[in-house]
Amino acid sequence: MIVDINFVGLIIASIMASAVPLILASCGELITERSGVLNLGVEGMMIIGAISGFALMTVTGSLIIAVFGAMLAGVLISTIFAFLTQTLITNHVATGLALTIFGIGISAMIGKNFVGIPGKEFPVLFESLKDTIPLLSPILFGHSIVFYFAFALPFITSYFLKQTKIGLIVRAVGDSPESASNQGINVRLVRYACILYGGAMCGLAGAYLSMIYTPQWIENMTGGRGWIALALVVFSTWNPIKILIGAMIFGGLTIIQFHMQAIGVRIPVQFLTALPYIVTIIVLVVISRDSRKIRLSTPSSLGKSFHKDN
Amino acid sequence: MNTNLKISNVTKIYPGCVANDDVSLEFNSGKIYALLGENGAGKSTLVKILSGVVIPDEGKIYLNKNILKLNSPSDAKKNDIGMVFQHFNLFETLSVFENLIIDSDEQRENLKEKIDTIMKKYNFSVDLDVPVLNLSAGQKQKVEIIRCLIRSPKVLIMDEPTSVLTEQETSELFLSLKKFSEEGILIIYITHKLKEVMQLCDEVAVMRRGKLVSVSQINNENIESLANKMVGQDLKTIKKKKENTSSEQLIKITNLNFTSEDPFETNLVDINFSLNRGECLGIAGISGNGQSELFQVLSGEIISNKNSIEFNKNFIGDLNPQERREYLMAFSPEDRLEQAAIPQMAIFENVALNNFKSSNFFNNGLINESKIKEHSKKIISEFNVNTNNIDLKSQFLSGGNLQKLIIGRELITSPDLLICFNPTWGLDVGAINYIHETLIKINEQNKSIILISTDTDELLKLSDKISVIHRGKLSKIMNAEDVTSEKLGILMGGGN
Repeated sequence: MIVDINFVGLIIASIMASAVPLILASCGELITERSGVLNLGVEGMMIIGAISGFALMTVTGSLIIAVFGAMLAGVLISTIFAFLTQTLITNHVATGLALTIFGIGISAMIGKNFVGIPGKEFPVLFESLKDTIPLLSPILFGHSIVFYFAFALPFITSYFLKQTKIGLIVRAVGDSPESASNQGINVRLVRYACILYGGAMCGLAGAYLSMIYTPQWIENMTGGRGWIALALVVFSTWNPIKILIGAMIFGGLTIIQFHMQAIGVRIPVQFLTALPYIVTIIVLVVISRDSRKIRLSTPSSLGKSFHKDN
Repeated sequence: MNTNLKISNVTKIYPGCVANDDVSLEFNSGKIYALLGENGAGKSTLVKILSGVVIPDEGKIYLNKNILKLNSPSDAKKNDIGMVFQHFNLFETLSVFENLIIDSDEQRENLKEKIDTIMKKYNFSVDLDVPVLNLSAGQKQKVEIIRCLIRSPKVLIMDEPTSVLTEQETSELFLSLKKFSEEGILIIYITHKLKEVMQLCDEVAVMRRGKLVSVSQINNENIESLANKMVGQDLKTIKKKKENTSSEQLIKITNLNFTSEDPFETNLVDINFSLNRGECLGIAGISGNGQSELFQVLSGEIISNKNSIEFNKNFIGDLNPQERREYLMAFSPEDRLEQAAIPQMAIFENVALNNFKSSNFFNNGLINESKIKEHSKKIISEFNVNTNNIDLKSQFLSGGNLQKLIIGRELITSPDLLICFNPTWGLDVGAINYIHETLIKINEQNKSIILISTDTDELLKLSDKISVIHRGKLSKIMNAEDVTSEKLGILMGGGN
């Protein structure tokens, strides 16, 4: 059997494309969690981003307004979460779950008018280079700007956390909000900022789905990707580079099992569908086994409310 | 330059408690001041006010005659007031250097140079690149001190700095503090340890129930006079009567080993000892040398080889704490609010957690609340716990009352052996005295104690036999009369 090498390249590119929303949402949630806030509303923020992006694109016709509008929508919905958990000191878990339910509901309501409307073509970069190098060309060239941003993001996030002062402050707040507060750091402000940033990234992840990956609006189109993104953050032990690995494995197995189903491999469909979830978690658990590193990268105050009293 | 710090009529009221009642004090650089008082006397509130963590309801603070507005910790920092908190304000998972740079405005290289200069000058040695959680308590404190010194403070406040230090580390700290004082830093030293005040300070202010009760030169005071001022009544001195202990063996540990998978824990190597009825075995050591692992192995939190622990002629090494309790062992762990009691649960519920087959706290899986409450009331009255409300959540008990409750809960079933780990950690003189009396009483009733403690004075006072744990190994068992605190200090440091 002769395998066209460019076909392999295309499969890899499609795996990467399917990993994009996971990487964006996970890296956003990672910053939120590193500051000690557990926001389970990722799925809700993504779907809000998806409908906002698609609706703004249809209404205004401008892709730029649509993309930034989706991020803004993510910021706005996460502001609700931030206000509730940081100002009114509500429970992170319950508030995050409510946010997801709210997001799914409101997106379906807004989305009613946009079902069946075709999307717009999103411009891609370096298209002229698409046929220059075998195998690598389809992987490297001809993708949207969001695609390139997503693959740079884990490295940017890692650099931000390790090398910048603000990154250090975020980690410090996640480690011990009490100490940070006694050091004169405004814990609430840092956590607000991290929550809003997480919201923006989830909004962008949603916009990628409805505007680039499958350019149309379908109700509930995030299809649990928000939950996978959340799981990636935890199983990567809050390490952005491992998020990239996890998202690629998940995306890869999702694509491959589709092909296996298409070819008619005699494995139960249910097992094939479950495969990406199982394998991703196993791989991440195995590569993150070092208990010392887990201790050092786990935000100790994760999910705990901080209330400064005088 | 001289520094003058003045506290003028400061009052801070919390719901149900006046933490500071019209306190006025004045400090001048060149001296070391002690702020002395029992737990809950209001010392910590006062220094939190000075460091901007707590805002007073009334009163003013002056630094060199200028009024200070301290609305946040950064205000205190800006005004050159440095503070080392009792519970370290460090970020455990960040490296030492990251901890230091986080509140500094300086460039990496400049800061590194500055830290190097400070460490050389005061003979500190701390690895800047390791995460703080790998440091010993003494090293963590040095990081806190360096953090203050980077800002060249005029005032340095130390809140109970020795509660987690070894004797060696304490004397090192005292040397540094004296050096700082000579260099013109005004030092305020908060403590409830009288010996330290006598050793270190020039002037002492005593607080009791939120009020300032006296300010005096240290030369005019002695340990007894300060203790009486602090407690507000005359304290009796307690002493252990040397009695003939029986020769009947109660517990025997043979070749007990524990290898941990957690790199932050200490392995126990070949522990062997035995203890007779009516005896108290003290185990000394610098914290982090395997004490908590030893406690867990002895209590059954970590299960070991069945034959390694022989208790009352039964082999019980493979039993869990509850099963060991049935054989009349009792335990008082170090961390009162995390291990010994559940903070959010009521007093009587915490009592019920220690259930026995014989206690009848539960009937067919249902809670027998009246029985438990009756039992709790008995503990509270017999062990002097200062509350009538057994529905109170245990987190609202003071350290001393909580410890009395825990010891009471353990002792009311009259066990043959009590194993306790730092039972008087962080308690005030009154409570320490009570706990010590109680422990002596147990021995007099021909019951045994294993006392794991980092407080050598306590060990010398209460033990019949003493051993030292160092890096998970136990020294040979010595008779307490043959031991001095110097000798213990050498063994604790790993010497012979």
